Amino acid sequence: MDTLLLARLQFATTTSIHFLFVVVTIGLVTLLVGMQTAWVLTGNPKWERLTRYWGQLYVINYVLGIATGIVMEFQFGLNWSGLSRYVGNVFGAPLAIETLVAFFLESTFLGMWIFGWHRLGKGVHLALLWGVAITAYASAFWIMVANSWLQHPVGYEVRDGIAHLTDFGALLTNPSLGMAFGHVVSAALLVGGMLMAAVSAWHLIRRTPDFALFRTSLRIGLVTSALAISLVQGFGFAQFGPVGAVQPTKFGGDSPESQALIAEWTTRFGPGDYTPPVLASVGLGFMILIGFTLGCLWLLLPLLFRDWIIRLRFPLWLILLALPLPFVAVILGWISREVGRQPWVAYGLLPTEQAVSPVSAPLVLTSLIGFSLLLGTLAVTNWVLLARYARRGAADPALGRPPAPLDEPAHPEPALS
Amino acid sequence: MDLAWYALLGLFFAGYLVLAGYDYGVGMLLARGVGPAGRREALTALGPFFLGNEVWLVAAMGILFGAFPLLEGELLAGCYPAVAGALVGVILVTVGVQLRSRPSDERVRARWDRVVMIGSALAALCWGALLAALLQGVPLQADGHIAGVTHLATPFAAAAGLAMVALVAVHGATFLALRLSAEAAAVVGRTARRLVPVALAAVALATVVGVLSTRVRDAVQRPAVAVLLPVLLAAALLAARAALARRRPGWALVATGAALALPVLLVGAALWPYVLVSTTDPDASLTVADAAASAPTLRLLGWVALPLLPALLGFQAMCWWVFRGRTDGRAPVYW
Repeated sequence: MDTLLLARLQFATTTSIHFLFVVVTIGLVTLLVGMQTAWVLTGNPKWERLTRYWGQLYVINYVLGIATGIVMEFQFGLNWSGLSRYVGNVFGAPLAIETLVAFFLESTFLGMWIFGWHRLGKGVHLALLWGVAITAYASAFWIMVANSWLQHPVGYEVRDGIAHLTDFGALLTNPSLGMAFGHVVSAALLVGGMLMAAVSAWHLIRRTPDFALFRTSLRIGLVTSALAISLVQGFGFAQFGPVGAVQPTKFGGDSPESQALIAEWTTRFGPGDYTPPVLASVGLGFMILIGFTLGCLWLLLPLLFRDWIIRLRFPLWLILLALPLPFVAVILGWISREVGRQPWVAYGLLPTEQAVSPVSAPLVLTSLIGFSLLLGTLAVTNWVLLARYARRGAADPALGRPPAPLDEPAHPEPALS
Repeated sequence: MDLAWYALLGLFFAGYLVLAGYDYGVGMLLARGVGPAGRREALTALGPFFLGNEVWLVAAMGILFGAFPLLEGELLAGCYPAVAGALVGVILVTVGVQLRSRPSDERVRARWDRVVMIGSALAALCWGALLAALLQGVPLQADGHIAGVTHLATPFAAAAGLAMVALVAVHGATFLALRLSAEAAAVVGRTARRLVPVALAAVALATVVGVLSTRVRDAVQRPAVAVLLPVLLAAALLAARAALARRRPGWALVATGAALALPVLLVGAALWPYVLVSTTDPDASLTVADAAASAPTLRLLGWVALPLLPALLGFQAMCWWVFRGRTDGRAPVYW
């Protein structure tokens, strides 16, 4: 096994695990913002309980999102030093902006949100959650700016074999960006909505206490996911035009454009196999299949009338059993986008084999096995905990539990006295 | 422009070592046999700051990638085992702290606490070794790549790693002396004072090994700055001990924090104008200016960072202010 293959496998593993958690993060935080805002506006304790219950699941899920996110960031330098060497001037900028604008603030806000219950004013506490949500979307945006640049490098010029930034605006208007960002964000909403609907469905099937609570979150989850699946489909199909125009080889086939491009690459970079592995098309095909299947979510919406969806019970089972589908679909979609870029790390600019670090294969193999086992174990542990907390119900989540009353001085002593 | 970004990189990495340093110190001190309640109390003291601390590393890495892409690739790939080890440590701590209280079984929690302890020690050890790797030079070749990773395996890297572990432990104990309830703080304050001589010994060992190493002597561009490092570290540790003895844990934390920021500052200054000094080919050494991204990239990032920096520091300061003071029975418990 050579370093290139091992480094690619490691990237695929880490990215996939990371993606499974961040889509839930973005999806759930959007719904949480709605719930906590409703609580602050109406004062109805139902919304507080919903925020605490779903917030607890959100916070558990966030743990692996941040852990795998840190690995992702380091991985570029560890395994792909050629990427920083040749295109770092351009590709590094959106990633740097993402860490400062989004990641840094998101975690700072979230820490205060978790510990701010009963300590901060309701308005400030709500504003923190809005901050978490806005920075989460900003994070997705800048990561997609960086990724879109790899799909379709723009706004640069090559001097002495190294890319230099010439037009940052071009990165933001990249034809590969807009629809893809919409697609990813609606997929996150779909996953968040489906997770909420499925967990609620389980509680309603088992007739656990808190019928009213889970009835509400079932409705929120179902309506969200129905709206989201239509957006997913729309943004998905809307990508074929712009992406096909800038990446003619991506979706296979022998179009005249792709043949012309391959001929051009052959003269510039020498002969080679410039068609992406068939895995990209497999991913795309099955993702679209799942997308159409989930379109049936709309058929369940009329059953919300007079709670027929709960009374009939079998629709609840359908929702529960469909929960893995959006997760599988986001991975397939990611495979299609990333594998379809091959054999380039930056399409038509930098071949993947030139980007890999000059480190020995045994070292990368050790790293691949070590990090895959570590992150895999942590991911499974995290899902087990999520399932356990989801099952436990909304009686008394640790998140936002009121502290015991105590007679203590209200003003803490100064730290530097 | 290069210098400003280099300083900013230093600020964020030093900020990370100072802030996450007490996370790791508290993590290692979970081993001090205070029982389940005592361990939970220590994690509650970290509480709201924990998530905001580790992201300083994320920001430092972002700046490294955006403003010094060449350095990012060569440093991380060239010091692979140290970086990967630190990364494993960071992940074990972040996951361990956030998940340890989710199971209700105390035995499972104790297992998670061991994960946090190991992760904390590993992270401190590997960051210390990475700073040592910079100070002892790397086999940077004419093609711009670092040859192999065996250059890391030196007594100096090991000694520096251990010194970092000791510094972090003192820092963590001092943080607990500031944050825990008065009774528990007195106990951990004594631990902190007892740890200071250990840290002094570890710093002294690293200094002796460093002075004896020809690689370190050759790589350091400003010997006076390098000599200043152990002197200032010792001064900071003694100041912390004095402040702890006078029950001034706030000032003690300032001193131990300085002890964690100083290595970053002085390693950067001692190597200036280089950032990677080659041990094999003096012409291959990488200067800060050569490692920096080209001017348009730095200009763009400058316009982003300028308005953003006050916001980043402001929200962090808000977190410290809102949750200041000792933890008591009313402190929110979550970790």
